[in-house]
Amino acid sequence: MKKWTLLFVLAFTVNVAAQAVKSGEKFVYSAAYNMSGLLTPLAQVKMETETVKTSKNTLLHLSCEATTFSKWDSFFKIRDTYESYVNPATFKPSLYKRDIFEGKYTKKEKYLFKGNVITSTVKKKNAPETTKKFSIGANTNDVVTILYQLRNVDFSKFKTGQTKTFTVVFDEKQMNVSAKYMGKETVKAGNLGSKECYKISIAAKTDKLKGTDKNLIWLTADARKVPALIKFSIPVGTGQLTLTNASGI
Amino acid sequence: MRKVYNILAVLFLLVSIVFAVLPMGTLAVLPVALALIFSGLAFFISEADAKKFPKILLILSVILLVVVLAKAMMPDEVATDTEFEQKKIESKNEDLKDLEELEGLE
Repeated sequence: MKKWTLLFVLAFTVNVAAQAVKSGEKFVYSAAYNMSGLLTPLAQVKMETETVKTSKNTLLHLSCEATTFSKWDSFFKIRDTYESYVNPATFKPSLYKRDIFEGKYTKKEKYLFKGNVITSTVKKKNAPETTKKFSIGANTNDVVTILYQLRNVDFSKFKTGQTKTFTVVFDEKQMNVSAKYMGKETVKAGNLGSKECYKISIAAKTDKLKGTDKNLIWLTADARKVPALIKFSIPVGTGQLTLTNASGI
Repeated sequence: MRKVYNILAVLFLLVSIVFAVLPMGTLAVLPVALALIFSGLAFFISEADAKKFPKILLILSVILLVVVLAKAMMPDEVATDTEFEQKKIESKNEDLKDLEELEGLE
């Protein structure tokens, strides 16, 4: 009986946790880069979810896509895609892909998750394709999945300054990423209007993110937890992603 | 002083042209505004017979300001990239194959 109760609680917890993310969501952002103190719109970022069926399973396809606005294409064309196929109930990834096209730089990365082993294939421009097998922790996920898992965290129970740690695999390395709850703030959320949001600070021991509390995400303080605003600080500068349109929620 | 203002106005006017050509958005207003200020100053302190050059600079600055503001007001759009769309379809088919193979190993 205890086992069944535990199973029920676990199943219920997973179900509640997974409710924030739905299949058929589409969030469109305007990505702006800070140039001499002025935010200059550079690209459109799309985050979409879709149900994908294989012969045995039903998976959730999570994708993030960055495309430069047409006026920038002749100067610096970006066509980046980050995607992950996850179990819709547990958010455990099966496949993660990263396809980078930034100006003259290209990189393709594919991770196949089998249990706690990842088979990675990486192809950089002017370099031969490399394949590697490495082990990861039981709770390690890719970056796309982590972004969506963040929405499944119940921040309403968090106290200001409280953190939640995730383990992420990026560039074939595992690292801890912490999400610190910084309270509530009202921000503009595109077609959703002004929304009260959970302000979350993202930190990781990596040279890819700069500064303390400079990488921030505002998630709407409702059941959907839509990322309304994202501010980033990376080695090449700072910028932000502003939600322009949210549909399918 | 008039010479200094003229030189600065020409300098910022050249930067403004580059910024107006590049998709800099509102950032391009900065050098145009400086070009306007310096050409205006040069125009007002110049003697009547030396007003022609700063006047040309002033007119060019105003034209550039109109161009930059018009460009900044244009909506940001993403071009239809058929090659990219095709690549995404092919990639998705590949993904399904990989996922089927992965399931076959389970």
